[in-house]
Amino acid sequence: MVNYGGDEVSALVVDIGTSSLRAGYAGDDTPKAIIPTTYGYIEELDTPAENGDGDVSMSDAGANAESEAADPRTKVKLYIGANGPSLWRENMKVENPVKNGLIQNFDAIPPLISHALEEVMRCNPSEHPVLVTEPAWNTPANRERMAEIMFEHFNVPAFYISNTSVLNAFAAGKGSAYVVDVGQSTASVTPVIDGFVMRRGLMHSPLPQLVHAHARHTLIAPSGRRPGIQLHPHQLIASRQPVEPGAPPKFELRQNSLAGTTESWRTWAEAHEVDEWIQSVSGILDQGWNEQLATQRGPRHYEFATGYSNYFNGVERYMVGEQFFSHSPTLIASNPNLPKTIPALISMSLNACDAEIRQVLMGNIVLTGGGSLFSGFADRLQTELARNYPHAKIHAPGNPTERRYGGWLGGSILGSLGTFHQLWISREEWQEHGKAIVGQRCK
Amino acid sequence: MAGASAADVRSILSLPNPSTPGPSQPRKPSNAGERARKPEGISRELYSLIGPSAPSLAAQFVKPRLKQKPNFGSGGRVKWEWRPFKNGARADSMRLHHWAKTGTDPEADYPFAKYNIQPISFVYSQDEYTRLLEDQEWTKEETDYLFELVREYDQRWHIVHDRYEYIGGSERSLEDLKDRYFTVCRKLVKNRPWAGDEASKSQLLSSLQFDKEREITRKRYIASLESRTPQQKAEEDALYVELKRLEQSERRFKRERDELLRTLLGIESGLSELPLDEEGIATGPPDTKRRKKGNHTAEPDTPISATPSSNVISLGQPQPRKAQTAKSAAYDALHFIYRTEVPPTTTSTTKASHQAAYLRSYKLPQPKITSAAKVAQVLGEIGISHGRLVMPTRDNCVQLESLLEAATALVETKKVVDKVEQDIRVLKARLGKRESEGAEDSFGTGEAAPTPMDVDEVEAEADGRAQSVVSTRSARSVRSRKQSRRSMSISSVDTSAAGASRRQKRQRD
Repeated sequence: MVNYGGDEVSALVVDIGTSSLRAGYAGDDTPKAIIPTTYGYIEELDTPAENGDGDVSMSDAGANAESEAADPRTKVKLYIGANGPSLWRENMKVENPVKNGLIQNFDAIPPLISHALEEVMRCNPSEHPVLVTEPAWNTPANRERMAEIMFEHFNVPAFYISNTSVLNAFAAGKGSAYVVDVGQSTASVTPVIDGFVMRRGLMHSPLPQLVHAHARHTLIAPSGRRPGIQLHPHQLIASRQPVEPGAPPKFELRQNSLAGTTESWRTWAEAHEVDEWIQSVSGILDQGWNEQLATQRGPRHYEFATGYSNYFNGVERYMVGEQFFSHSPTLIASNPNLPKTIPALISMSLNACDAEIRQVLMGNIVLTGGGSLFSGFADRLQTELARNYPHAKIHAPGNPTERRYGGWLGGSILGSLGTFHQLWISREEWQEHGKAIVGQRCK
Repeated sequence: MAGASAADVRSILSLPNPSTPGPSQPRKPSNAGERARKPEGISRELYSLIGPSAPSLAAQFVKPRLKQKPNFGSGGRVKWEWRPFKNGARADSMRLHHWAKTGTDPEADYPFAKYNIQPISFVYSQDEYTRLLEDQEWTKEETDYLFELVREYDQRWHIVHDRYEYIGGSERSLEDLKDRYFTVCRKLVKNRPWAGDEASKSQLLSSLQFDKEREITRKRYIASLESRTPQQKAEEDALYVELKRLEQSERRFKRERDELLRTLLGIESGLSELPLDEEGIATGPPDTKRRKKGNHTAEPDTPISATPSSNVISLGQPQPRKAQTAKSAAYDALHFIYRTEVPPTTTSTTKASHQAAYLRSYKLPQPKITSAAKVAQVLGEIGISHGRLVMPTRDNCVQLESLLEAATALVETKKVVDKVEQDIRVLKARLGKRESEGAEDSFGTGEAAPTPMDVDEVEAEADGRAQSVVSTRSARSVRSRKQSRRSMSISSVDTSAAGASRRQKRQRD
């Protein structure tokens, strides 16, 4: 039982990110429930009319009562999960409660967690201690709010909130590490020493959003080679015909759906199209930007939902990923508030750290986050670091699940350790000390 | 039927019949029993043929059997139950649940509670503070705050420094914090009554030692190391290499001077203050290679000075070495030291080519295997046993070597002469044949053209061939002994038999 220091108390781990919410049992190696953080909602007048939309709406029936707090006059119907935002519904708006890694809209959090725990995992949160993750730059108010939701709404017996950077270091088996986390909306670098975040060295920037915007611009802006590409999502397309690469697409839109499509849903769906293009086509040159080298990599074929397809040459493909590491001078000149690139973040962060621990950090770089799965990212990072830090060593798990859900995995490890169970904030302590206990216990 | 044929086959294969020897007769029934237990997978006929005498063969036919199932202890089922447990490391009454064996004590200590170790923290009273710990840089509140943080983060100083945010206080560096903390602790330990012995107290005090100035200097060094530019790094490397080179040449100079003085005057040079550490020199692969080479030439050359110089780097340059040997010649002559050449095979300085010390008589040349018998015969005629020298002195060895050389050459020459004579005979026979046929085509082959008086020419040709070989050999001073032997002329045999250094002889002829 004392082997490997593990003692499972069937704790639950909930890791809320920009793209997805991960939940599962501590001690597992992958989360049991992975649902998109983005949810769809329809504002209705306060009529008890039943929406016959099937099981999704039924599953959210319990959550509706909570969401009413947002606006007492209108009733909000939430659509959460795999079939939430991705299905077209008339007048359905889409929202993501997480902005820049922080939870901005707590109204949607209970329904999201409840969906993951109760609907997907089919477990009762009041029977399990719950470990929740937070980004390193989370505010004390936010974590207290999370504790409140857990204790007051879900009646959990015990609660703990831990830092994603620290958990990522734990997932890599390190107590001290330099965590480079590239998510969907935020890239961050965090020095972790002995399981504590060095707050001085913590840097983050909305760099992935810039990469996304760059890719979107590459697609929709007309260039010399082709007209601008229409990013109609497949939900809105009634029929299409195969065409030659580069030829104008032949498709018909669902005319009856167009009127009921909200702007936010359309933005979300188009972003999804762009993301898919990025994931299948783009990459990062591992030896720094070189237009010739990029051209040599050759074009790649991609077909959009409209049926339009084309070959995307090396420069287009690799310029997208290049935004992580360098910006063109014209872009810098036109936009003074550009998010910092990864090398800039790292050098700023290291300068804020004590000279003594830089060596330790550089020897234990942990690369994590779904954004780091960009092909060639780890190699490029190695190249960039090798210039200034010849002894830099990068730990980048080859397993995509480990890379994407590193924070959850670290929480799973932490929550199943026998020595950790003394750290849980119990219900009793919560009632006795109130919100202050969260800041005291979760350092 | 099987029995009879088996006996026949046994007799054919001359296998011993198990039933014929006496002792087996009474064991017949047991034998039958064994036959009944013939191994699986082998046919009955074959088994009765070979009997139980071929178990290794039969074993191959046996079907593989599954491994025996392991027996896990008592075999009784272990029951587990989901039950609450009390964690001793927790202050509250929360009971988490986990799986535990049913038999165990539910109120037993939680096994992980023992890892909850509280670090030793120092506490001081207001009185102690005013009496001992006053410092104009620090207020008591800030000191309290510092101690609270250090306790909270278990003396993880980087974290303490990271989280240090004292409102109204000035910016504190990590060294400031450490210095204040350790100073306070040292003062407390010194001025409080100590329960243990003095040794443990001084040990505790030394663990609380902190030299702020030194730490700051150290940090500054680290920072300056990190802020070097690539040019500076390259320059540093170049300087380092240069330094090593200078050290080496100085060492070499010192050694040569030492040797010179010792060989000429027999006194120490007085330069012993220069340290001769060999370990520090072996920096790069080319250096070690050079050193090995130096070892090789140095050791047999100057055995007398081997003790100090054999380990020192010698750059293997031939010029100073030659001069040195010339100068030490007088010394050698005085002390009867003979220097031998290292065989030229040591071009590759591998370990295998290293030549250890050996007895002179071990290295007597052996005649070539093909002509060994004849050479032995020749020597036997003279009355010398070449295998062993009664007195293998240096001169005797040289004599014997040249004698063997001469004998070999003689034998070889004899062979050549025989061959040439044979050729002449054959050609003469062919000539006679051709003349008798009429010899209509005189242009035939060059060698078949000779006139009756050409016997001398043939001989001259054979001789010329031999000479030409000799000349080529001497021209390029062939290394292969085999070739040199074959080409050695009779005259050279004579001269070389005269003795003295063979090598010089060879060069002369």
